[in-house]
Amino acid sequence: MADFGTFCLLLALVASSWAIIASYNGWRVQSGELVLSGERAVYAAWALVFLGVLALEYCIHTDRFDLEYVASYSNRALPRLYKVAALWAGQSGSILFWLFILLSYAAAVVLLNRRKNRPLMPIVVTTLSVVSTFFLVLVNFMARPFVRLSFTPLDGNGMNPQLQNPFMAIHPPCLYTGYVGLTIPFAFAVAALVTGQLGDTWFRTTRRFTILSWFVLGTGILLGGWWAYVELGWGGYWAWDPVENASLIPWLTATAFLHSVMIEERKKMLRVWNLSLVIMTFLLSILGTFITRSGVISSVHSFTKSEIGPVFAGFLGLCVVVAVGLLLYRLPDLKSEARLDSFVSRESTFLFNNLLLVGAAFAILWGTLFPILSEAVRGVKITVGAPFFNQVTVPIAFGLITLAGICPVIAWRRASARKLLEKIQIPFWALVGSAAALLMAGVRDPYALVAFSLSVFVITTTGMEFYWGTRARQKVTGQPPAAAFLSLVDRNKRRYGGFTVHLGFMLIVVGVTGSMVFKQEATASLKRGQGFALGRYTMRFDEIVRQDDSNREFMGGRLAIFEGTRRVGTLTPGQNFYKAGQNPSTEVDIRSTLRDDLYLILTGFDPQQGVYTFKAYLNPLVNWIWIGGAVLILGAWFAMLPDLRDRKREVEARLREIEAHAA
Amino acid sequence: MPRPLSVKIAIAVAFLVAGFVVLFGVGLKGSLVYYLTVGEFLDRSGHEDLGENYRINGNVVPGSIRKDPRVPGARFLMTDGARQLAVVYGKETPDTFVDGSEVVVEGSRQPDGVFMAGTLLAKCPSKYEAANRKGNNDRKPAGQGGPPASPGPVPASR
Repeated sequence: MADFGTFCLLLALVASSWAIIASYNGWRVQSGELVLSGERAVYAAWALVFLGVLALEYCIHTDRFDLEYVASYSNRALPRLYKVAALWAGQSGSILFWLFILLSYAAAVVLLNRRKNRPLMPIVVTTLSVVSTFFLVLVNFMARPFVRLSFTPLDGNGMNPQLQNPFMAIHPPCLYTGYVGLTIPFAFAVAALVTGQLGDTWFRTTRRFTILSWFVLGTGILLGGWWAYVELGWGGYWAWDPVENASLIPWLTATAFLHSVMIEERKKMLRVWNLSLVIMTFLLSILGTFITRSGVISSVHSFTKSEIGPVFAGFLGLCVVVAVGLLLYRLPDLKSEARLDSFVSRESTFLFNNLLLVGAAFAILWGTLFPILSEAVRGVKITVGAPFFNQVTVPIAFGLITLAGICPVIAWRRASARKLLEKIQIPFWALVGSAAALLMAGVRDPYALVAFSLSVFVITTTGMEFYWGTRARQKVTGQPPAAAFLSLVDRNKRRYGGFTVHLGFMLIVVGVTGSMVFKQEATASLKRGQGFALGRYTMRFDEIVRQDDSNREFMGGRLAIFEGTRRVGTLTPGQNFYKAGQNPSTEVDIRSTLRDDLYLILTGFDPQQGVYTFKAYLNPLVNWIWIGGAVLILGAWFAMLPDLRDRKREVEARLREIEAHAA
Repeated sequence: MPRPLSVKIAIAVAFLVAGFVVLFGVGLKGSLVYYLTVGEFLDRSGHEDLGENYRINGNVVPGSIRKDPRVPGARFLMTDGARQLAVVYGKETPDTFVDGSEVVVEGSRQPDGVFMAGTLLAKCPSKYEAANRKGNNDRKPAGQGGPPASPGPVPASR
C-alpha cells in the first residue's frame, strides 16, 4: 500500500506538471484541446492525490508501523477518529492533506467553470497547478509521507494526548480549507493580470470561494482558541504564538479584501489595491503554512535546520516576484474609473477600514517575524512579547469597531453631515447611556468601558438598520412585520448577512474584553472535605476519582460547586495518563454559563498525604466568544446563499458572452 | 472640488500612519527581549541593552525537576548540551514539561544566580527527530514531539 501511495504521488506530480504545460501553452496558441487536456490533468492529479491520501489512511488504520509516519503519529490503541486525524498530525502528512484540499478546490473550480470564463481559465489552471506542483515536489522529495523504517516497531508512538480532542481533530482541516481556499481568488487575479481581462469577472466569480475560505479560516482560528481553552489548561485561548498569528494575518487581509471589493464592484475604484490585497493574502497564507510547518520561529536558530525552510522561502520569493511584476506590467490599465466623491461617505469608511485591517496585519506580521529579521540583521534573535501585540491591536480594533458602527448609517457617495448626525443620534445616546450604566455598576477599566460601549453603539446601529429596512419594506408591500423582515433579508442576503457577521464580531469583542479584563484566579491545596472560594463560587473537594480504560488512566478530584449556599454542580478536574506516552495530560473541567466560566485545573497531588492542589479561574463572558463565532458563521453562510440579483447578473453576462460568440 | 478632498484624505491617511508609527514605537518599547541559548545567556556580554528580561531556549536536564505537590511550578536545570542554568518557575507547568523536553523560559536572573521564569513553554522531547535532522539515514520514529499543525508550543500561562 505504501508503494502504491508513493507511486500515486509521483504520477500526480507528472499530471500536475502537465497541467501547467498544457494550460499555459494552450492559452498561448489558443488551442482548446490543449486547454481541455490541462483541465483533465487537474482532475487526474486530484484523483491520484486522493488515492495517496487513502493509501496513507489505510496504512494508519492497519497499523503499518514499518512506515515512519505511522509509527510516529499513531499506535494500536488510538481511537478510530484520531487515526483519521493522524493524517494531519505530522509534517509530511499535513502537507499531503494541504495538497489534497488545494486540488479539491482546483477540481471544483475547473468543474464549475467548464463553460464559463473561458478566457481566464487556462491561466487559472496554470496558477493553481504551479502551486500544487510545488507541494507535490515537497511530498515526493522532501517531506515524504511513505518513508520506511529500517525495522518494524511493535507499536507506534501514538498521537500527542493533547491532540486527542474532537476540536483538535477538526481545527487543522478548517485552517487548511481556509488557507488553501485563498489560492482561488489569487489564481483568478493572476489570470486577470496575465490575460488583461481586468474587469469584474475575476472577483465576482471567486466571491463565494473567498467568503467560504474567509469564514472557514475564521472558524478554524476560533476552534483553535476553543481547543487551547478546554485542553491546554492555562485558562486562556489566545497567546500571540507565531503559529496563531500566522493564521490571523491572512484572515485580516482577506477581511480587508471582502470589504474593499465592494467598492470596486460599485465604483470601479481601488482596483490595484484589491489585486494587491488578494496577492498579499495568498502570500501570507503560504507564509503561514511555512511558519506552522517548519518551526522556523519557535526555537533559536532553527531556520537553517529546517529541511523544507529554504525551499518554502524560495517558492515564496518566486511568487512575490511574479505577482509584483505582473501588477507593475498592468499598472497603466488599472486606472480607477471613478474617484471618491466626498470625505463623509461610506466609501471613505471602507477605505479607513482597509487601512486599519492592513495596518493590524502588518503589525502582527512585523512582531511575528521580528526574531528572524533581527537574526538576519544583528545575528541574534530578539523576540517581541505579547504586550506589543495587545498594545497595537487593541486601539486598531477600537477604530474598526467605530467604523463598523458608522458605516451602515452613512450614505454612499456623499453623505450630508446633518443627516448622518440625525441617524446617529439614537446609537450615540445608547453609547453614552451604556458607558454611564457601566460606570455606575463600578466598571473603571478604560479598555472595558470603551469596548463595551462601542459594542453597544455598533449593535444599535446595526439593529436599527434591520428595523428601518423592515419598516420600509412593510410600507412598500403592506406585509406584517415578520414577513417583511424575512423578505427584506432574503432580497439582500449579502447586506444583511454582512451585518449579522458584524453582530457576531461584536459579541466576540464583548467576550474577549470580559475575559481579559475581569479574569480572576485562585489556588488552593486541599484535603478531602476542605474548600476554597472564587468570585461568587465556593468549591468543596469531596472525593478522589480514578478511572481506567484501555487507552488511559484518569486521576482526578471531584468538587461540589456552590453559589452562595445553593449547590449548582459538580466538577471533576484531573489528569490523564496515556498508556502510550509518558506525559500526563491535564483535563480541566468547566462550569460554563452566559455570565462566566468557572475553570478548574488539578495542578498537582500528593497521594500519601491526600493533598490535592487545584487552580481555579473565573473567566467572565468567555462564552460570548463562541456564541459570537456561531453568529458570524451563520451570517457568512447567509451572505453566500444565491442572491436573486447575482443570478440575474450571471444570466446577463452569459447572454452577452453568447452574443459575442455569435457576432 | 477634487483637490481639497484629496488633501483631506491625504491628511487623514497621514494621521493614521503617524498613529501606527506611534503605536509601533510605544508597543515595541519594553516588549523586546533577547532570545538566547543557555550558553549565550551565561556569557551575555553585548546583549544587555534591552533590560533585565531574557528568553532562553534549552532542554530540561533529566532528573533535575523538583516539584512540590502543594505549590504550582517547579525548580529545574536547563542545558544547551554543554552548560546548565538553574530555573525556578512559579505557575502550573504545562503537560509537555518533562525530563528532556525542549523549553523556552522568559524572565530574569536573580542575585543568587537562579533564573526566575514568568513564562514557560515546553515541547515534548523528540530525540529521534533531532537525529534525523543530522542526516541520519537509519530513520527512526519521530517521538511524539514536533508540534502538530497548530498551535505549536504549549503556553503555560500568560
